[in-house]
Amino acid sequence: MQKYEVLAIIINSLDSKKAADQAKTSISSHIKELGGNVVFEDFWGERGFAYKINGEKWGYYFLAQFELDRDKITELKKDWNIDKNLVRFLITKVEAHMGEPRKYEELKKEWESTEKERKISEMGKVSTKKAIKVADVAEKEEIKEPPVEKKEELIKEKVKETTVKKEAVPTKPLEKEKESPAEKKDIIDKKLDEILEDSSLDL
Amino acid sequence: MPPRPKKYICAFCRQNVKHIDYKNSKLLSQYLTFYRSIQSRFHTGVCLKHQKQLATSIKRARNMALLAAVRYDK
Repeated sequence: MQKYEVLAIIINSLDSKKAADQAKTSISSHIKELGGNVVFEDFWGERGFAYKINGEKWGYYFLAQFELDRDKITELKKDWNIDKNLVRFLITKVEAHMGEPRKYEELKKEWESTEKERKISEMGKVSTKKAIKVADVAEKEEIKEPPVEKKEELIKEKVKETTVKKEAVPTKPLEKEKESPAEKKDIIDKKLDEILEDSSLDL
Repeated sequence: MPPRPKKYICAFCRQNVKHIDYKNSKLLSQYLTFYRSIQSRFHTGVCLKHQKQLATSIKRARNMALLAAVRYDK
């Protein structure tokens, strides 16, 4: 008994439920009739084609793994070629090193994670250098930071400052708003007079 | 004498990949040219063992309409 994998495209004139049933009847049950046993089934659902097949743009994909005698594969192919609900199918051998079959969503996640790893490994030296630099900087910062007791004091001082600022800030703009342009002129005139009267400045 | 340049290691060998899946169309599409033909080993930098696996899996993906065989504007 050899282990095989089949990926089949089911025609898009059926509903998604009907297509799933069709896949089970025409593919899985047909394998069982010939004396094989189905190990794994996964219905991918709708999927667009990369190019048009018989004028159609999309179809249902169905993946299955099964065990069957080598002689009966030709029979399977004959029957599936006649079947009108199957647009295309591809039978491949499954080897031991390929790992266990998984659902399409899990496979996608795995592929994405491996791709990220590959990109990082291709970066190679650059990424390691950056990591070293970051570590050095972190160590330096740790040394610079004052001990815990001083920290608390600093925090308290900061809090005081912030409270004072909060009180001071809203009062200033209010005063400015109250002053009319005429009052402003008076204040500036007074200041000018003071400066002119100063004997220390030689104007 | 200047030091010898380091030998480039295949991207799949570095990750210890044993089998390239034909259903992983995103990975395969990285090894296609602008006109969707298979890139040569000179350009991909992949070792011979993995390049052969790549080529077969790309052809399988094309057969199942996971990858386009020719580029066309929509």
